[in-house]
Amino acid sequence: MTILGRLKSWEGLLLGLLAVIVVMNILRSPYFLGAGNIANLFQLSIEKIIVALIMTLIIINGEIDLSVASIMGLAACVLAWLFQMGASLPIAIVGGLLAGLAAGLFNGFWVAYVGLPSLAVTLAGLIGFRGIARILVEDRAIGGFPVWFNTLGQQGILGPITASILIFAVLFAIVAIVLHGSALGRLVYVIGNNLQAARYSGVRVQSVKMTLFAASGLIAALAGILYAARLGSVRGDMATGFELDIITIVLLGGVSIFGGSGNLAGVGLSILVILNLRNGMGLANITGNTQTSVIGALLIFSVLAPNLAQNLQRRWIGRKT
Amino acid sequence: MTEPALARTKGAEQFGSSSAAASGQSGDRILETRSISKHFDATQALQDISFSLYPGEVHALLGENGAGKSTLIKIITGVLQPDGGEILLAGTPVVIRSAAEAQRLGIAAIYQEPLLFPDLSVAENIFVSHQGRGQVVGWRQMSQDAEAILAQLGVAIDVRSPARGLTLAAQQSVEIAKAISLNVRVLIMDEPTASLSAHEVAQLFGLVRDLRGQGVSILFVSHRIEEVFEIADKVTVFRDGRLISTRLRSETSPQRSISDMVGREMGLLKPRPRAAIGELLLSVRGLGRESVFEEVTFDLHRGEVLGFGGLIGAGRTDIGLALFGIEPATSGTIALDGKEITVRSPREGMDLGIAYVSEDRRQLGLSLPMSITANITLPMLHKYLDRFGLIRRGLETETAEAYRKRLSIRTSSVDLAVAKLSGGNQQKVMLSKWLNTKPSVLILDEPTRGIDVGAKAEVHAIIAELAATGIGIILISSDLPEVLAMSDRVLVMREGRQMAIFSREEATQERVMTAAMGQVSAPIGEVAA
Repeated sequence: MTILGRLKSWEGLLLGLLAVIVVMNILRSPYFLGAGNIANLFQLSIEKIIVALIMTLIIINGEIDLSVASIMGLAACVLAWLFQMGASLPIAIVGGLLAGLAAGLFNGFWVAYVGLPSLAVTLAGLIGFRGIARILVEDRAIGGFPVWFNTLGQQGILGPITASILIFAVLFAIVAIVLHGSALGRLVYVIGNNLQAARYSGVRVQSVKMTLFAASGLIAALAGILYAARLGSVRGDMATGFELDIITIVLLGGVSIFGGSGNLAGVGLSILVILNLRNGMGLANITGNTQTSVIGALLIFSVLAPNLAQNLQRRWIGRKT
Repeated sequence: MTEPALARTKGAEQFGSSSAAASGQSGDRILETRSISKHFDATQALQDISFSLYPGEVHALLGENGAGKSTLIKIITGVLQPDGGEILLAGTPVVIRSAAEAQRLGIAAIYQEPLLFPDLSVAENIFVSHQGRGQVVGWRQMSQDAEAILAQLGVAIDVRSPARGLTLAAQQSVEIAKAISLNVRVLIMDEPTASLSAHEVAQLFGLVRDLRGQGVSILFVSHRIEEVFEIADKVTVFRDGRLISTRLRSETSPQRSISDMVGREMGLLKPRPRAAIGELLLSVRGLGRESVFEEVTFDLHRGEVLGFGGLIGAGRTDIGLALFGIEPATSGTIALDGKEITVRSPREGMDLGIAYVSEDRRQLGLSLPMSITANITLPMLHKYLDRFGLIRRGLETETAEAYRKRLSIRTSSVDLAVAKLSGGNQQKVMLSKWLNTKPSVLILDEPTRGIDVGAKAEVHAIIAELAATGIGIILISSDLPEVLAMSDRVLVMREGRQMAIFSREEATQERVMTAAMGQVSAPIGEVAA
């Protein structure tokens, strides 16, 4: 089977899984298909799925960014800190975004130009950016933001659709075009496949990696600010541990942890599968811990399945010849 | 003693028992291979090899890269299994399934780069293979034994210090001590001198002579022919997977061995028709990269094919990498069209019109899971964007189809992953990719390695055609007949140094190989053609 065929079949599998989950959810609860519930579905994990979009590019590129959740926290805390210092909220938002961009550039510098492994660099970022966030707001919860900020995170602006969901939709379209239509997207795949071959072809590997990490920092900051708007208050430990859920979404979407393969359609399906699964299990009164275990099992399956399929295929071919 | 069957290869000369007696080493063979053969896919790596090693002799193996020496060593050390034939150890047939089993049988090998555990002490490294044999050895005992072995070798190394930090020569002494601790009967040394200084080589040879005196048989592989003739009692030459000759050192000469090595069939190879050579294109003076290669000086003209001959590791690829900017040069000058240039990155090299087609298609040349089209357009992707920065797929496909036709790439579609193509067609995709950058200097590194005869002829035709359009071509190849058939001039490298430039008339297989092996000082051709 061609690589394309295998991807297609992986997406097919996800689609089948999604159908089963949706049918089960509908049977269990008549409210499931309501527009309110579906919007709510997205809204509850909206920040994670926004960051999953840029994480898709980073993992296809053969890297990883473990610091995204800490950057989310950092951006929200910078915003809250500036706001407390008397800055207007728009200025504080810009400050939060710039902090995220700076964090992304910091990661990118060490990975792209110094050549350190992104696992180590962004692990340091995970700890370090979180530390800065905690220093800024200490052990308080900072709230009292203008009403429009809370509305931005909580109220639907198109029926039940919130600004966050709209932003996600727009980013999804942008990432799809970049990944599957632009030169940058092509280079992301080429580098993820074979970094040395890319270098030998005159590809500016360093600037591609730098761009991705900077974008990751900026988008994570945006997600952190939307999270603050949704919660209405900011704490130093907000979004802790989100990076693992984000990476799970991407891997379940069929993106290879080794880089070079995967696509955004798979990640989109994976988002729907996880959201519906969590929502369905919630509606069925299954506890959070059990939900987490089910998702863990799914992730193992997603990493295992392609290898398993290949082995079976090889054995089958071996028998024939 | 039975006379081994005469090698079936035409023209082979067999070294028999009478000569063994003549060398003063009568007695039974310690190691014998009978009609060993081995093939990898379509390549016959070894064909009907019958070879004998006697106790207390130093027996050298000579041959070009790919002649079959390494394969034979891998079979004797249990790393590879032969397809046919048998191995006898002291007259008894044995099957050697692994390197550990070879060690138990008294066969050990040491390589150019010693394989020690850097954080273990010298003594632990020496006895590391004794692990798990039911012996409980105290640290003190082990240190004493290690010291005894090293003393016997006349080497002064602190056995308690870690192997990390030892010189290469000291590490090799440790490897030899390790072999002695295993009661080695056959010691294989695969290019052991390649990284040693002259003084260290002399020391190593002292050790080798001591071991020989103790009755150890040594199989010595080296590309330094003068060393072979200094240390070896017998010389066996391999070529194209066959054993060509085994001779006593006293009965042969470096020249004669080289003649045996290079007598390769030209096969279907026809000399490239002579084409008009244009004006000066690339002028390289005293080019070097610290501790890799030095003082390389040559000119390349439009429409000229300049062959780079020599053995693997002689620095030919490194010159290519320097010209293209992957590993920039650290000394010397490069002038292109009369203007001095510096190339610090592949992008700069490309922008100057230099293209480098890598020897390693799979790791460095191509992105295998990606389509033929995506591979061909990769270096020039910026030329395929519309005003929104999106890739113009139609234009890409047009380019790919044009090259598919021009170089007859055989595929059902240009959207197919490159991994699906045969080696020859992959090579054509790689050529397309670089021709699409419209280079004026094209560096081809082993462009026909691992592709079938038909594809090889096609690649040769393409090279001739490209030269005829005025591109200057540097052809790096370890396939000597290929270099001679395709090149207008041949530059020969050896161990990072330029040995000679031969004109087409001067360049013979023997001359080039002689220069590549550094045996006789070959006449250095004029720099200008």
